[in-house]
Amino acid sequence: MRVLPLIAELRARGLLEPEQAAGLEAHERTRPFSLHYEIRTLLYLGITLLSGGLGVLLYDHLDDLGHGAVVVLISLLTAACFTYAARHRRPFSWAQVPNSGLLPDYLLLLGCLLFLVLEGYLQAQYTLFGTRYGLALAVPAALFFYLAYRLDHRGVLSMGITALAAWAGLSVQPLSIFENQFLTAPVSRAALGLGAALLVAGWLSETRHRKAHFAYTYLLLGGNLLLAAATAALFAEVLRPAGLLVLLILGVSAGLFWYGRRAHAHVFLLLGAAYGYVALTYGLFRFFDSLGTSGSELWFTFCLYYFLVSAVAAVWFLTHLKRLAGTAAHAQNL
Amino acid sequence: MRKIYNPAWAHHEAMRQAAQRWHRAGRLPQPQLEAIRAAYPLDFYRPTIYLRILLFLLVSLAYLVAAGLLGLFIYSLTDTHSYHAGRETLVFGSTFLLAALAGQFVLLNLIRTSRLYHAGSDQALLYLSLGFAAATVFCFLEVGRPPVEGDWLTLGSAYLPLLLVPVLGLLLLATVSYADPLVAAAAYLTTLALLANLLLRFGSGRLLLPFAVMAAAVGLYYLVRRLGRRPDYWYYRYCLLTLKALALATFYLGGNYLMVREANAALSGDYVSRQIPFALIFYLLTALLPLAYLAHGLRRPDRVWLLTGLAALAFSGYTVRFYHSVLPPAVASALIGAGLVALMALALRYLRTPRHGLTADPDDAPSERPGLNLEALIVAQTAHAPQAPEPGFQFGGGQTGGGGAEGKW
Repeated sequence: MRVLPLIAELRARGLLEPEQAAGLEAHERTRPFSLHYEIRTLLYLGITLLSGGLGVLLYDHLDDLGHGAVVVLISLLTAACFTYAARHRRPFSWAQVPNSGLLPDYLLLLGCLLFLVLEGYLQAQYTLFGTRYGLALAVPAALFFYLAYRLDHRGVLSMGITALAAWAGLSVQPLSIFENQFLTAPVSRAALGLGAALLVAGWLSETRHRKAHFAYTYLLLGGNLLLAAATAALFAEVLRPAGLLVLLILGVSAGLFWYGRRAHAHVFLLLGAAYGYVALTYGLFRFFDSLGTSGSELWFTFCLYYFLVSAVAAVWFLTHLKRLAGTAAHAQNL
Repeated sequence: MRKIYNPAWAHHEAMRQAAQRWHRAGRLPQPQLEAIRAAYPLDFYRPTIYLRILLFLLVSLAYLVAAGLLGLFIYSLTDTHSYHAGRETLVFGSTFLLAALAGQFVLLNLIRTSRLYHAGSDQALLYLSLGFAAATVFCFLEVGRPPVEGDWLTLGSAYLPLLLVPVLGLLLLATVSYADPLVAAAAYLTTLALLANLLLRFGSGRLLLPFAVMAAAVGLYYLVRRLGRRPDYWYYRYCLLTLKALALATFYLGGNYLMVREANAALSGDYVSRQIPFALIFYLLTALLPLAYLAHGLRRPDRVWLLTGLAALAFSGYTVRFYHSVLPPAVASALIGAGLVALMALALRYLRTPRHGLTADPDDAPSERPGLNLEALIVAQTAHAPQAPEPGFQFGGGQTGGGGAEGKW
């Protein structure tokens, strides 16, 4: 009961009436302890373990007898999850729909994951879609987008975006973008195109008020994909001219930075500043490199000074942005 | 030994958090909330977490580069013609010393002028300057120590305290002044290293080591309880919470069978670990401690006990799987997952109305929960289609952790 002295202090300063203070003390003593985030985390862990385990189980026992039973079991589970989520659905609206509870949310996610497991298995075992692999990836993407919009679920939306990217031959998981293997000009162009499309989708959902709260997911996944692909292409020199790429990265970074400040979504500040700094530094060094000044001792010292000065300047800029960007207390509504 | 940050900041922040909570619960009308806010102003600077990360990275970069420039300058000043063995170490040592001092100077000035309060940039300066200070101690020891054969930085070496004791002093001093949780944790871990060093220099010390670690954890826990009753609790709030979690974690790990057995093997230089003495005690501790933590965390409602208990339970599961493969990983993962989902569904149903002082409803309003957006990204990161695995692909025995990753205690 760490807050009891605080209540006493407020009463002593005359900011609380005595009976109100007594009420607050009673409230603090009887206030239930929230297990919300623990339950959420464990539910998520549970559905990931369950779908992952079932997926590997199916692949490991492709040739065993009785896999028909497993298919039936997974189909029933998937159907049960979707049914449960559908029974708890709210009327459709383009605005944010109030949450219908933890369990429907997570069972919908589990249903989607199991659907992927089932579809992958049917394709591997019975070649359901033949050799039209694109269709095999487009079906879950379409289903997930429909479910995300109908049942208002950001997690399913990001699964839909992942499936869409897989259909385009890319990976948009936030941490694995640089692992897009065999970086070639067509792959880079596809990534740039999809990233730009996602950015536009995010921008439209916000300005046209079509599920405006989906904008964050679109912009973050799309922006990250576009910027990472452009940076990777810049470093691997698969797309030319480099100057245009640098300008593209700087432009998109500035746009994300601007949006992040406007919408108080500070992850975009981090994203924009980080990619912008890398691209600007790389561009400058390439420029000086082309002038033929690199390699000398003087050049090395210059680089050190560049990093020092640019970092200090960035810190100064960000710290003086505070009035506009808001502080942690502001974000917590304190 | 003074507090560097204004102690009123922590107090005001706590007061405003409490007032906001009462307002949300409908027990504090808006005018009163405004009055409390006016009486407890927040005039320090702490941006949101992403800007803090950015500031931390940028300041670290600038500080390291500045130290590098300083090192180059000092190196060019010293006489380049006399080569003796310790010269480079001395150059390094004096660079580190100057860098640490300069870092502290800048840090104190920044806190005074810009009113930073755990804002990323001050943390970067604090951690790096402490690191430079520790490196200084190391460099000067390297020059001044008597010649010893082999490596003197092993856990059983008699010279190790020469390094650890000054470092521990610095860390304690920094903890008291800056109230930084990470520094406090580092101080505790340094203490544990000193304890291990003391015991390992005696023949039978290794047998006692697990019990000594557990005893140290108990000592820390009671120290934290005592310190928590002081009036400056709010200033050291996150330090004390971190130390409490560490005390529980080290108490568990000190008695964990896997840790004891593998540490024993590593200390004797064996490649394959063997059965340890008192194995039965460690089996029991490994099995029962997580459950005891969970029970205590739910009965007393205490989040630190609860989350440590969950992490300990996961590690106990890992311990069992490390020595015995009970089920194939895929089957185990599916069963655990199904069990977890079922258990949580039951918990949600049971807690539909609050019982035993527990509830499944969130403490905060949806508008204050930026975590919902991040959750969607975690889904994008982890919940993708399981691709057809390559030959030899093994699904690791399930992911652990995740509990409390957002640092909400």
